[in-house]
Amino acid sequence: MKAMVQVVLCRCCIEVSKLLDMERLQKVASESNNVVSTVAVDAVCDGRNLAPVMAEAKLKEVDRAVVLACHKKDISPAVVKAYRRAGVNEYLVEFVNIREEVVLPHMGDHESAQKKAETKLRAAISRAVLLSPLEKLTEQMATRNVVIIGAGVAGQAAASEAARTGAHTILLEKTGRSLKAPGVILPHSQVVGAKGYGGNFTLRIRAGEKSEDLGAAAVVVATGGGWTSLRGPLAKAVKDAMPLYRFYEVLLSGSPPNGPVVIVDTPDPVGKTVRVQDYAWDETLETVIELKKKHPDTLVTVVFQEMRAFGLSELAYKEAADIGVRFVRYDRNGSPKVDPKQPNTLTVKDLSLGEVLSIRFGTLVFASIPPNEDNKLLADALRISMTADGGTRRGSIQRWPVTTPKPGVFVCGSALFPKSKAEAKVEGQAAGAMAGAFVMRGVVEYGGVVAEVTQDKCSACLTCVRTCPYEAPFIGTASKAEIRIQACQGCGMCVGICPSKAIELRNYTDEQIMTETRTLLGGDF
Amino acid sequence: MTDRRPKIVGFCCEKHGADAAVLAARSGKHIDASVRLVQVPCTGRIDGIHLLSALEEGADAVFVLGCLEKNCYYDTGSIEGRKRVGYVKQVLAEAGIEKERVEMFNAASTNAWAFPEAAAKMVEVAKRLGPIGGGEK
Ligand SMILES: Cc1cc2nc3c(=O)[nH]c(=O)nc-3n(C[C@H](O)[C@H](O)[C@H](O)COP(=O)(O)OP(=O)(O)OC[C@H]3O[C@@H](n4cnc5c(N)ncnc54)[C@H](O)[C@@H]3O)c2cc1C
Ligand code: SF4
Ligand code: SF4
Repeated sequence: MKAMVQVVLCRCCIEVSKLLDMERLQKVASESNNVVSTVAVDAVCDGRNLAPVMAEAKLKEVDRAVVLACHKKDISPAVVKAYRRAGVNEYLVEFVNIREEVVLPHMGDHESAQKKAETKLRAAISRAVLLSPLEKLTEQMATRNVVIIGAGVAGQAAASEAARTGAHTILLEKTGRSLKAPGVILPHSQVVGAKGYGGNFTLRIRAGEKSEDLGAAAVVVATGGGWTSLRGPLAKAVKDAMPLYRFYEVLLSGSPPNGPVVIVDTPDPVGKTVRVQDYAWDETLETVIELKKKHPDTLVTVVFQEMRAFGLSELAYKEAADIGVRFVRYDRNGSPKVDPKQPNTLTVKDLSLGEVLSIRFGTLVFASIPPNEDNKLLADALRISMTADGGTRRGSIQRWPVTTPKPGVFVCGSALFPKSKAEAKVEGQAAGAMAGAFVMRGVVEYGGVVAEVTQDKCSACLTCVRTCPYEAPFIGTASKAEIRIQACQGCGMCVGICPSKAIELRNYTDEQIMTETRTLLGGDF
Repeated sequence: MTDRRPKIVGFCCEKHGADAAVLAARSGKHIDASVRLVQVPCTGRIDGIHLLSALEEGADAVFVLGCLEKNCYYDTGSIEGRKRVGYVKQVLAEAGIEKERVEMFNAASTNAWAFPEAAAKMVEVAKRLGPIGGGEK
């Protein structure tokens, strides 16, 4: 069947700057093969302008469209919806961002802009003709469970917030600590394995001595930092060293600190176990200023690799220096050491002075805390990634801050990296709300642009299985690769890497991509 | 010959790559009109053959623009994209073609300068090297 293309030109995007010649573009469109309708509208982003376009689409029986307007993300929802109502499959609507790819960046260069616009139009038509209609499918979520791992500040906040959405919350807590939170609380329990995808996970739980399976529509990781395990040579050498927050509590209680105070960034200066956190610096500065104000005679030294005070905290840095706090910067070649035989002297090479200092102290404080060692176990169980320094890694910021790269798995609090209680709580609320909203949709949407294996070509080499970040490909019963499309995100990573060229990404096949490129290159430059 | 406008194709992902290009335009950055973009969902979708065939079809230089490696929408997509670019560089070197004609760039959607820089760099490369093999394509 011959493709019937409608070309829509948005006047607002194309003409407003008088850079492009609309009539010539219309001519290019109407002279192209397969184009049966060319319409110019004032502004496609105004829904009222779409009605006549859709009437024409129905009249000419178009089955696909090329829309020349602005950023696809901004306009596609409304345009696609209108086309759907006019009987055009949403995957057959192709957008060309004429405003931001041609008009804005080529102002003042009328001729090349026009050539580029015409070529882009031709390339989009060549691509549109090759597209296939696709469907989105849905699968019911088996449960409304939001499973929250770790019942600290963040986990409890997540539970309350998720419960408010109507989701069923289950809190897994490793210890037996008493807590109050809505939903089910399982003390002494941990996740040891997981199967499935966002919406329908099956978690393997160890609760006390028992192991059982638990269905989860969404998972929130809230396992916190490795507070209990201050490790590293400095922590070992100085038995009564403490984390910053503990020291702050001591300070607030009013009792004077024991002797000169040294705050070091980490208990493990040469190791890789600790990330020196931004947050810790703000709080370090706050603490030393408070300390100096309360006990002006106390000698205070801050020993650090990198001071990253945020925004106006820079002023606190200056204030602290002005009231007599000593700052000593070091690098890995001269990192701080404490000889266990002399557990109250820290030696460190001052990077600015270039000399080795011996600093006597009565109290040693660490600004940063190690990551939770369970992060690794959880990352393995849930198959999510970790940061180089042992935290749980967040997903791309475009997926929002409390997400992991895996849809349906959220993360909050110090499981990401150490942070204050207040921040951990807010993140917990956000993660809980997002997880709740996710499960309350009740269905997993999938399909559309997804990968597809031609099994005859597959040599079962497992490359796709190893490459896909979402575990969508698996070797099925026929000993050939199959795609679990509910998990497939449509990135196409498995396609390019398959040595047998057995996988295709729907609507992004080699032919489609290369035809578009060829047409682009064939036009005037 | 001196006037000849280079032909440059950029493959960019729909996520941070496309957003960075849009932000550049909205920030008033000027881009050479010889740079044309093809969108793919993720730079991990890029296959060596896309880049090679673009060069064969007359592009003087080709680049790939993806998310920052630690902030990739598809987790490891732009790392895969970089590998494919590396592979094509190797193929070009073996064929005696300048491998600078192919390059990988990363951008965050909040980087208004990443795309213009990438484009300018490729225009410079294309102008300096001229058409592949010195031909008139
Ligand atoms: C001594 C000390 C004092 C502090 N004082 C302050 C303060 O005064 N003000 C402030 O703002 N911040 C303070 N903090 C920091 C603050 O506690 C944390 O930033 C905050 O608690 C982080 O919240 P969270 O929920 O992410 O982690 P946490 O509160 O640490 O909670 C994590 C929970 O997960 C559980 N868990 C861990 N692994 C697993 C697993 N595998 N399976 C199941 N459960 C697991 C843990 O048992 C724990 O209950 C202090 C920290 C310490 C160590
Ligand atoms: S990478 Fe290709 S050949 Fe290998 S298992 Fe996957 S589909 Fe089969
Ligand atoms: S397209 Fe992406 S998400 Fe889908 S199977 Fe391939 S690698 Fe996995």
